[in-house]
Amino acid sequence: MTSYVSILYLLIFLPAVLLVYNVLPKKYRPIILLLASYAFFWSISRKLLVFLLVSTVSIHHIGLWLTAVQSERNDVLAKTERSGKKAVKALYIRRQRWIVFFAACVHVGTLLVLKYSGFFGRNINTLLQTAGVGLSVPILKLMMPIGISFYTMQAMSYVFDVYRETTKADKNLGRLALYMAFFPTIMEGPICRYADDAEQLWEGRRSTLENLTFGTERILYGVFKKIIIADRLNIMIKTLYTGYADYDGGMMAVAAIAYTCQLYMEFSGTMDVVIGSAELFGVVLPENFRHPFFSKSISEFWTRWHITLGTWFRDYIFYPLSMSKPLKKLTSKARKKIGNHFGPLIAGTMALFVVWLFNGLWHGAGWHYIFFGMYHLVLIVAANFVEPFTREFLEKIHIRREEGPYRIFRMIRTALLVCIGELFFRAEGLRAGFCMFNKMVTQFTLCSFTDGTIFSLGMDKLDFIVVALAVLFVFAVSVVSEKGTNVRRLLSTKRRIIRWAVCYGLILCCIIFGAYGMNYTPVDPIYAGF
Amino acid sequence: MNKKTKDIIGCISFMVGLIILFAVLSVIFVPKDNSRAAGMEAVQANGILGEKENTIDYIILGDSETHSSFTPMQIWKDYGYTGYVCGTNAQHLYESEKFLRQALKHQSPKYVIMETNAIYRYSSIENAIMAKAENYFPLFRYHDRWKNLKFSDLGGSVQYTYTNYSKGYRFEDRIDGVENKEYMKPTERTKHITKINRHYVNNIINLCKKNHIELILVSTPSISNWTYAKHNGIQKLADQNGLTYIDMNLLQDQLEIDWETDTRDKGDHLNYSGAVKVTDWLGTYFKQCGEFTDHRQDAAYQSWNKDLKRYEKKVSGK
Repeated sequence: MTSYVSILYLLIFLPAVLLVYNVLPKKYRPIILLLASYAFFWSISRKLLVFLLVSTVSIHHIGLWLTAVQSERNDVLAKTERSGKKAVKALYIRRQRWIVFFAACVHVGTLLVLKYSGFFGRNINTLLQTAGVGLSVPILKLMMPIGISFYTMQAMSYVFDVYRETTKADKNLGRLALYMAFFPTIMEGPICRYADDAEQLWEGRRSTLENLTFGTERILYGVFKKIIIADRLNIMIKTLYTGYADYDGGMMAVAAIAYTCQLYMEFSGTMDVVIGSAELFGVVLPENFRHPFFSKSISEFWTRWHITLGTWFRDYIFYPLSMSKPLKKLTSKARKKIGNHFGPLIAGTMALFVVWLFNGLWHGAGWHYIFFGMYHLVLIVAANFVEPFTREFLEKIHIRREEGPYRIFRMIRTALLVCIGELFFRAEGLRAGFCMFNKMVTQFTLCSFTDGTIFSLGMDKLDFIVVALAVLFVFAVSVVSEKGTNVRRLLSTKRRIIRWAVCYGLILCCIIFGAYGMNYTPVDPIYAGF
Repeated sequence: MNKKTKDIIGCISFMVGLIILFAVLSVIFVPKDNSRAAGMEAVQANGILGEKENTIDYIILGDSETHSSFTPMQIWKDYGYTGYVCGTNAQHLYESEKFLRQALKHQSPKYVIMETNAIYRYSSIENAIMAKAENYFPLFRYHDRWKNLKFSDLGGSVQYTYTNYSKGYRFEDRIDGVENKEYMKPTERTKHITKINRHYVNNIINLCKKNHIELILVSTPSISNWTYAKHNGIQKLADQNGLTYIDMNLLQDQLEIDWETDTRDKGDHLNYSGAVKVTDWLGTYFKQCGEFTDHRQDAAYQSWNKDLKRYEKKVSGK
């Protein structure tokens, strides 16, 4: 299986698992899900499944270890007088921190070695070469198990939650294993939390007709986004990003917008398939997208795009850092000197720096990914700094920022800033990213639109029309959803003929207008590579 | 009727409706002719569909090695036997089977030659399923024709009119040679044939048996693609199924392929001069088999003589 939008997954694997799951008695259902998840993992990463198994066993033990330390602490605290309790707590916190540190070494260490050793090795070698040292570190070419970036974050969130005592360590290895390996989420997320998902996964609820209908509709919508829009744009995007030197600034703008569109449709489409697949089993997964292009600022954008990654960084990096003693101290000092608005921004920016550095690196081992992170950091920090001035200025000229044309202006501005970031993100290296950006700004012309170049990139007029109509359809659905209407529930209230017509329409659109088959090269899932 | 029964009937009705839609749209989307303009893919190989009924003596299946190595017009010129190369680039065995099934609807060849390189091509289960779906509902294969659909596609009947004058052979006289070397070093090793490919080979074998056709496995000369381990694998397959296997890579003394001049891409494919040698050998083989009759004077085959003129003009570069 190469992706969730593949025949093998959608027409063979998923229906087969669903059938067996529902036929078997309740107590066997979670086991079927677990076995199916390992089979899914095995079909992609073969023997690298051992990494997932080791991770699972390791967090199971670490969780129990933390719990043992915590209960020992509670016993000791019960026997300790009030004056000594603080010291006991501090002692046990230190012990727990060492355990968490050990867990991080095992899980994040594995991820670092497998994913980043090549990147760090190359950069160290460049430094050594520049310094004239005649040494070099060997560059290892290591195989990476599928979804390691995702399941490592799930593993660490479990450890952190047990450490924080917001979650109890699970004695049931099977339940923890299913939380780690559940096949719809293993390849591209969403990054789930143990407290939200483990129990419902292990419950083994029978699929209801509503589950099956809603799940299938969601899957269909995801396939629609992926194969009609994202995959059809792929040839043009590949041509523009690999041969950017041959095209003008106008085409670079097309490259930036088209890739942003592709990435959104690809990733959110896959998430629809993933969430829809889980829904078939009666499992509700967290949403990863909430119409990000309705965002009015970059900060808001990141609360709507890849939500589970953002909340992970917020809960396990940003909050602990900004609530740490040194940063709290810095904030209180800064408040006194530069005021209540700018004071907290310094410490907040330091915490955000770490978050965005990790965010960039999480996406891949490359400087353009780090730049991508820093680009968003700068935009967010700049917006925070100018916020009081903007507010004051808008009040003076009587413009309401949350209403009317100014709101739309903010949305378009945010979307354009996102497109620029994605240009660097997709570029074949940081140098190429800057070249493309430079061209877009300094050599912007509309010549390529009038001389026919635009139609020589692998997409003809009809392709553009189909993509535009499909984007409009997704936009319309997003507008309705943004207003708070559950589109699938709304559809379920309609007469059967209307429901069926919508489903037939979606299926036939995917089959007729989808970019698959003899004239297309299959597109690998983008986020599975991160 | 209780709710559960109603739901089940609803699901079944939905699926039936969908299948009917697929069937109707397949009729609309399938190309109405075998020409490129009508939306047919692999027109050279599909040119066989435009040939007169029961006029083809032998059919060649396989990947690019076939349309680089066999030139049926040469055999026509020398012996008057009619053949067609249904080979396409990177052909998978499920495609070979499909070509054969399509061809057998209108032709009754005595021999089918299966070039063996395709037997070692990786075929994913996914592609095999898709190929099966395409057989039932051509909509999946020709869905991209939405761009060129005409009103006549709505109810038009299928009529194949295109024929290819070189009968599936793709002329290429470019020389990009490679040093002559011994690449068929005997070994005991046997290259494994995947289950999925074995399944399709069996389908082709059964199809030939059912139609009283002799299936011959042939490995054309290729330094880049062929090895002795592959030879052993195919020999084993041939022995298990009682098939004739000809490995031209071991017939160097008869074929006299000069890899410095007879290849267009450093030993991967033969060029025209290499194809002439291979085809010459095959023509002699057919002659020795004595199964075919010479059609050159047969009035029903006069189009072949016209095609020969065009073919000769092409290969002579005039």
